[in-house]
Amino acid sequence: MAFWTLYKRELNSYFQSAVAYVVLFGSAVIQSMFFVILVRFISDANYKDQSVMQIFFTWPLFWLLLLGQVPLITMRVFSEEFKLGTIEMLLTAPVREWDVVLAKFFGSLSFFLILWLPIALDLVALQLFSNPEPPIYWSQVGMTALTITLAGGFYVSLGIFSSVLTKNQIIAAVLCFAFLLAFFGISLWRWVQHTDATTLAWISYVSLPEHLQNAVVGIFDTRPIVFYVSVTAFMLLVTKTILEGRRLQG
Amino acid sequence: MIEVENLSKTYSGFRAVQGISFHVKKGEIVGFLGPNGAGKSTTMKVLAGYLPPTDGKIRIAGFDVVTDSIEVRKRIGYMPENVPLYTDMRVNEFLRFRAELKKVTRRKIKDRVEAVKQLCSLKDVENKIIGTLSKGYRQRVGLADALVHDPDLLILDEPTIGLDPNQIRAVRDLIKDLGKHHTILLSTHILSEVELTCARVLVINRGKIEASDTPANLTKLVRGGGSIVLEVRAPGADVVSRIKALPNIEDVEIDLPGDGEWTHAKIFAEPGVDVREEIYGVVRQNNWPLRELSRVKATLEEAFVELTQD
Repeated sequence: MAFWTLYKRELNSYFQSAVAYVVLFGSAVIQSMFFVILVRFISDANYKDQSVMQIFFTWPLFWLLLLGQVPLITMRVFSEEFKLGTIEMLLTAPVREWDVVLAKFFGSLSFFLILWLPIALDLVALQLFSNPEPPIYWSQVGMTALTITLAGGFYVSLGIFSSVLTKNQIIAAVLCFAFLLAFFGISLWRWVQHTDATTLAWISYVSLPEHLQNAVVGIFDTRPIVFYVSVTAFMLLVTKTILEGRRLQG
Repeated sequence: MIEVENLSKTYSGFRAVQGISFHVKKGEIVGFLGPNGAGKSTTMKVLAGYLPPTDGKIRIAGFDVVTDSIEVRKRIGYMPENVPLYTDMRVNEFLRFRAELKKVTRRKIKDRVEAVKQLCSLKDVENKIIGTLSKGYRQRVGLADALVHDPDLLILDEPTIGLDPNQIRAVRDLIKDLGKHHTILLSTHILSEVELTCARVLVINRGKIEASDTPANLTKLVRGGGSIVLEVRAPGADVVSRIKALPNIEDVEIDLPGDGEWTHAKIFAEPGVDVREEIYGVVRQNNWPLRELSRVKATLEEAFVELTQD
């Protein structure tokens, strides 16, 4: 019960802040603009090897958006509560730390997914207005959506973790960006240095670009699912522990 | 309602609260007094379940604060110092959110929110964003929040700080009113407020309880509960020696510089004894011209200073 109340408040609070609208607007413009450019490129060049979705979700632009969005949406989650002192009011209500952490996590994840709605709408529009109608493969769409949700969940959990560390939102955002960059950097390692096969296998296990390459063609792979769910759960546990710890310190 | 045994709280080596014990009975209004940094807020935070105690046992309404924290929190309305609120929410929205969070049943939420808005005179700002409200209104929103789930116990940390005199009076009347149905523990620096609202006072200093009594009894602790002022035309030394000869007199001081031949003396009698008649007898025997003979009641402020100064 407490979870739902907190979740609603958390998601609502996004629509009260200017930053959220800026991120929302920016994401919508960038996504749709590049979607249009890609579609035009594909039809002009009569390109048949890859679908729009394949190109879009494996493009560096997508990674950049992802890395930029998450710190901006998660930075205030706990920092603001500490700064305003409202955490005291929150934790003296009959709620558990888990309720608070999970509500904040799912609230932020929901907003994160809302940020990706424009691209879904673009795909729907493409479907509606193309002639002849392009075939739609639900496995591809579903797997892509699942991968973005799970990877997004992990990124958001890193952002919430950064936010619980400090009462300064800017520091929270920078920390989160640094964590995301460090983690994402692993998947770019092969372009930095010659890498042997064993290391590459390890990298592919944690590499979002590679997960997406599989997802956009509709391959169902349990490894990334297990990976994202477990690291997210771990980050949330750490966040909850730190939240308790901060309270114990006073 | 509140049973505190040997509560200690240490923050990174600093002992903010050092083994205090006290009880508050159901229906009491208890004032928590003490200088800044005495450990009042810390104690209240521990009672509200926000900070865990380093040592000691606390039971509220029969539930342990540490092991049954959720049960305790359901029964407490806590208003922290400085009243932190979500500044981006509207008053109505905020109170509904808090009522839901505090497990007020769905069908009762509307009634409770209406009731506390009425009680705290928030009707005319119900649709305003909290961030735009003045300090006085925010304080009342905080109080409304503490009351929204109709708790058995109210813990109010400086509920009147930063309010203007009219608002202080309004909050004081509200607290007195609430005291009819709730148990209240409140901290404050305003001593007149305590005298007017609280049945009992706990004085805390340097993390220890210095006194626990009614405001009236506390003032009696101040050297005999007050003094007698005497102003006569006579040599100071004579006045002191003659009056000291009377029974039940503890001390006589010449406190103000004499005005010509007049002597202004302050007389301290033993607790509970009225010696004015005997003093008048001495004055008459010696034929001293008399200008003033009156009793000065000790104030809670004097009691506070005496108890908390070293």
